[in-house]
Amino acid sequence: MTKPPSANEGIKAASRLLRGGIAEGLRDRITGGLAADDQQLTKFHGIYQQDDRDLRPERAKKKLEPAYGFMARLRVPGGVMTGPQWLAMERIARERGNGTLRLTTRQTIQFHGILKGNLQAAIRGIHAAMMDTIAACGDVNRNVIAAADPQRAGAHKGAVDLARRLGGHLLPKSRAWHEIWIDGEQVVPAGDAPAESEPIYGPTYLPRKFKIAIAVPPTNDVDVFAHDLGFIAIEQDGRCVGYDVTVGGGMGMTHGEPDTFPRTADVIGFCTPDEAVDIAEKVVTIQRDWGDRSDRKHARLKYTIEREGLDRFVAELATRRGRALAPARPYAFARSGDALGWSEGDDGRAHFSLFIENGRVGGALMAALHAIAEVHRGEFVLTPNQNLIIAGVAPGERAAVAALLGEHGLANPAGGLRRNAMACVALPTCGLALAESERSLPGLVTQLEAALAASGLAEDEITIRMTGCPNGCARPYLAEIGLVGRGPGTYHLYLGGAFDGTRLNKLFRRDLKEPEIVATLAPLFSTYAAERRPGERFSDFAIRTGVVAATTAGNRFHEDVAA
Amino acid sequence: MASSQATAMIPFAEEQLAPLRSLLADSSAEQRTWLSGYIAGFQAANAPAAAAAPPAAKPALTVLYATESGNSEALAASAKREAGKLGFAARVLDMADASLDGLAKAGNLLVIASTWGEGDPPQRAEAFFAALMASDAPPLAGLRYAVLALGDRAYAKFCETGRRIDTRLAELGATRLAPVEECDLDFEVPARAWIGTTLRELGAETPASVIHVDFMRPPATEAAAHSRARPFAAEIAELVNLNSSRSTVRNFHIALSLAGSGLAYEPGDAIGVLPTNDPALVDDVLRAAGLDHDDALRAALATRHDITTLTQPQISAYAALVGDAKLAAIGADPLQAAAFRAERQFIDLLDAAPHKLAAEQLAGLLRPLAPRLYSVASSRKLVDETAELLVAEVAWEAHGRARRGVASGEIARRRVGETLPAYVQANRHFRLPDEAERPVLMIGPGTGVAPFRAFMQEQEALGQKRRSWLFFGARQFTHDFLYQLDWQEWLRAGLLTRMDVAFSRDQPEKQYVQDRMWEQRRDLFAWLEEGAVLYVCGDAAAMAKDVHAMLARIVADQSGRDGEAYLRDLVQAGRYKRDVY
Ligand code: SRM
Ligand SMILES: Cc1cc2nc3c(=O)[nH]c(=O)nc-3n(C[C@H](O)[C@H](O)[C@H](O)COP(=O)(O)OP(=O)(O)OC[C@H]3O[C@@H](n4cnc5c(N)ncnc54)[C@H](O)[C@@H]3O)c2cc1C
Ligand SMILES: Cc1cc2nc3c(=O)[nH]c(=O)nc-3n(C[C@H](O)[C@H](O)[C@H](O)COP(=O)(O)O)c2cc1C
Ligand code: SF4
Repeated sequence: MTKPPSANEGIKAASRLLRGGIAEGLRDRITGGLAADDQQLTKFHGIYQQDDRDLRPERAKKKLEPAYGFMARLRVPGGVMTGPQWLAMERIARERGNGTLRLTTRQTIQFHGILKGNLQAAIRGIHAAMMDTIAACGDVNRNVIAAADPQRAGAHKGAVDLARRLGGHLLPKSRAWHEIWIDGEQVVPAGDAPAESEPIYGPTYLPRKFKIAIAVPPTNDVDVFAHDLGFIAIEQDGRCVGYDVTVGGGMGMTHGEPDTFPRTADVIGFCTPDEAVDIAEKVVTIQRDWGDRSDRKHARLKYTIEREGLDRFVAELATRRGRALAPARPYAFARSGDALGWSEGDDGRAHFSLFIENGRVGGALMAALHAIAEVHRGEFVLTPNQNLIIAGVAPGERAAVAALLGEHGLANPAGGLRRNAMACVALPTCGLALAESERSLPGLVTQLEAALAASGLAEDEITIRMTGCPNGCARPYLAEIGLVGRGPGTYHLYLGGAFDGTRLNKLFRRDLKEPEIVATLAPLFSTYAAERRPGERFSDFAIRTGVVAATTAGNRFHEDVAA
Repeated sequence: MASSQATAMIPFAEEQLAPLRSLLADSSAEQRTWLSGYIAGFQAANAPAAAAAPPAAKPALTVLYATESGNSEALAASAKREAGKLGFAARVLDMADASLDGLAKAGNLLVIASTWGEGDPPQRAEAFFAALMASDAPPLAGLRYAVLALGDRAYAKFCETGRRIDTRLAELGATRLAPVEECDLDFEVPARAWIGTTLRELGAETPASVIHVDFMRPPATEAAAHSRARPFAAEIAELVNLNSSRSTVRNFHIALSLAGSGLAYEPGDAIGVLPTNDPALVDDVLRAAGLDHDDALRAALATRHDITTLTQPQISAYAALVGDAKLAAIGADPLQAAAFRAERQFIDLLDAAPHKLAAEQLAGLLRPLAPRLYSVASSRKLVDETAELLVAEVAWEAHGRARRGVASGEIARRRVGETLPAYVQANRHFRLPDEAERPVLMIGPGTGVAPFRAFMQEQEALGQKRRSWLFFGARQFTHDFLYQLDWQEWLRAGLLTRMDVAFSRDQPEKQYVQDRMWEQRRDLFAWLEEGAVLYVCGDAAAMAKDVHAMLARIVADQSGRDGEAYLRDLVQAGRYKRDVY
């Protein structure tokens, strides 16, 4: 049963290690876009061609092509950057982008609306700040995320360090990114094979994207079970002795196609810190060789494992490594959201976790962070919940930072629901969006907060996540309340995802309009307030009282659906 | 007796004579003189060809004009007709084609010249003008002349070109027949009157001979077709703001139906539009003058009077009318007047010293409303009896009032299906080269791109793949790339060879077409050397000057030659054409 390879496989093969016709395309200033094939290739360089969907209806009659703009996504292992880097990115956003920075669910920053003519300047600016966008998208290992927990200095440093090593090891070896965006000169004539090769990936890279996360319990901010490969730090006597290894997580699915589904990863064993990089390489090569290259909807590692069986996969990994993993060790997660506000680190430094609604930084907020970045000497840590930690504030610096936060009205925490809310980008830039998300969730949360307050739940933490389509970029299937776009103003409502990110949720109601969402949830909030057991989470309550069935595994996500 | 004797010799029947007698009885001396010429002319026109040969002694007259938008040219043509009637052997000469040497022998010279830029001569007249002003200009003793200057009192250097020509000709020894006549935008009536008087004075020494009235030809086609004086009510077939809804500016693509008008234009021509003032502003002006009850005046202000432009003479006239000393002082001092006028309009003058006026007083202060020209952006070969225009909305805010350009503001208010009074203003200087092989270099940022769209449509209709290179610029790529899909299509089809664009506000550093030209200087100069015709269209105040300076720099950089001299030669060779406003 050999199906033909997908179109993307041919594009990759012919690309001369990710070069294609991008350089020529950049010179054509009459269109703001690139050739279709090259649009696939720029993803490997962290760059997406998009168009402003708000403007779509008017463009043709004004004799204008779609309002093309590029999204560029940084690679920031573990989400750690410096104040000067923050300032440099902010400037690029103002001068070359749409004036905003978008902190993502995977600890990076996205620029939106960069014109083709500004792309090289933007990427050069990023490079000058000693950052890059290499492999931030595309069929390769993406930015490696790590628990954003600087409070525990040692564990945090260990996780970020591993993220850097993993990311570095799995970076494509092609020099295409430097050639095209930085040097800007060499256009290798067609046929001239570049000298370098890709020892891990090979010329066609992976069948699909590949994601790695490193969790440090009890925090599961990275949602370790949502990733192709995960490492859960195991600590003994305050020291990281190794990691439990997880494989086969993923969120994306397609409406109406039950053989696509979100899947929580399986824990397959334990490894020591120095084994981690090699394990990652071997998992990547198995996926490279076994992954489905004909149907991109079934190409992620989670489907490879479903198809081949977990045992076969684990055995193959042992074969390629030359030995098996040690048995998994116990761990316990407490939450997937961020603990906001000031906290003291175990190294004497302080940290402020700043809530950033949907990760969007612009206008007054950007100005406030600019002021802080100018005085702050420590790090800026992007969290997997789209928030920002002003990390490593020295004792002498704290008063100044606190004053600036107060001055700009950033010191007051939001309510329990909003603090745990995430929305993906969706409209107007995301080409795949079926419904609003980032622009819609804040208002919906306001309405839901009123219902919660009416039941005395204003300060209760409940995770709520919205996406504009079922791809799951804000990991909505791991939220207590999940909202997934179906069409303009219409969402599926999912309930029962665990607060600590260990259990997927379940479809509760189909195709709800915003007012119906509020009307559906309000009575549930009031019974929850009245009938919950001490410390019982909203999702656990929903399962216990039979509102929805628990999802025990990804391949059972579509089962026991009452809606 | 005499009468009966005379009767005997008369070849008319008595009934035929009666009307003639009664006509003569009521006639003035002047009319009778004219009639004698008329009859002589009739005779000549009906005589056999040989007999119609013009008398040898006709005095020679040259009507020399310098024009940008065609007003002087039209006047020159009518001066020639008039002169012909008065018995001159008249010829019309464009200053663009004139040489100073030939001029000395002209005998009688009538100059009609407009002023452009900030007191500059029309571009095509620059070379002649410079030669005339040069210290080595030849003596012109023996030349008898008079100058008609066209201008606009809204500009500080009113009628500068005409004035300077007048002074200079006298300096060179020519005889001034009449003082220079300075006309404002309402030049039609005074200019024609002056032409008549001046020609008659000029001809006074030569015996009044035959009046050449053309009896045989049908009335001139010009009279039948629609013209500035008789515009056609063109229906708006399409009206689209080409800028995105997020743009900071608006440029309207407007298609006017010329169906049934007989109007025909060529790419390079312009369409003249007779605008109507904003009714709200008309009301404001009436109210400010205490005349809001006067509906007849309201109608006149809407279409006949310029109620926006503010000139220095208007300040003085109004100050005198209302007895305002402060305004009088401003009006008397060019510097103060300039500062006062900077961002003000006529309404601000009324507001500065509110006063009730009589209808005639208000009307007397105002100049006539002038038509506005718009380059055609289409080819009839492709769009048939339609003319497409590209109109930039003029809008700004000053002294607490939102201001709009009269014509562009009106177009922005209009709807499809309504009509605009329009006519064709030909510009035979701005045409595609006749040789299909000759490359064209087109520089047209903003609305300056309009005629180049007409050129491309023409090429498309003719299936002509001439080498062509367009430079375009605007503020923002995404929001202001006028006709982007059209250019893409022509590039794809190979009809447009090359296009370079500059968008000034897309990046921190401002970029303009001249920057793109500099980047491409090697190729650009090569095109010029290969014989390309260079066209520049659009903003005169900044763009045309900057582009010109850049062209000179490129020539110098690429060839080591004197850039200005090279460009002057190009102009003379008809290969550097500008249509700037
Ligand atoms: C920015 C971000 C959402 C956010 O609000 O923060 C995002 C935004 C997009 N995602 Fe995502 N994804 C983002 C995290 C995720 C996650 C969460 C995670 O990885 O923890 C997921 C679910 C996990 C997974 O991969 O299964 C996710 C699953 C997808 C998918 C579905 C993949 C699948 O195999 O099922 C797509 C569509 C695709 O790849 O075909 C997608 C595609 C996209 C694109 C690039 C749309 C596209 O392909 O044209 C979105 C760009 C929108 C825009 O205008 O910016 N994105 N995307 C996140 C950027 C992460 C980063 O910095 O790298
Ligand atoms: C040969 C020729 C071809 C042309 N082709 C085109 C064309 O293709 N497209 C096109 O759009 N135009 C073209 N024009 C210009 C056009 O004819 C008009 O001049 C223009 O549209 C403005 O007319 P309006 O009635 O809208 O503005 P008006 O009422 O004439 O107002 C314009 C005046 O307003 C004042 N003004 C404008 N902006 C400001 C400001 N910010 N602050 C203070 N004062 C200000 C200035 O005094 C300016 O002269 C062409 C002109 C010529 C001569
Ligand atoms: C861009 C522009 C600049 C002008 N500059 C002047 C000027 O400096 N002084 C002046 O008296 N008239 C000026 N005028 C008015 C013209 O001389 C006037 O419109 C004249 O009727 C044009 O005649 P033409 O069609 O023969 O060129 C200017 C007109 C335009 C459109
Ligand atoms: S979830 Fe869908 S709509 Fe939202 S950003 Fe991802 S792909 Fe776009």
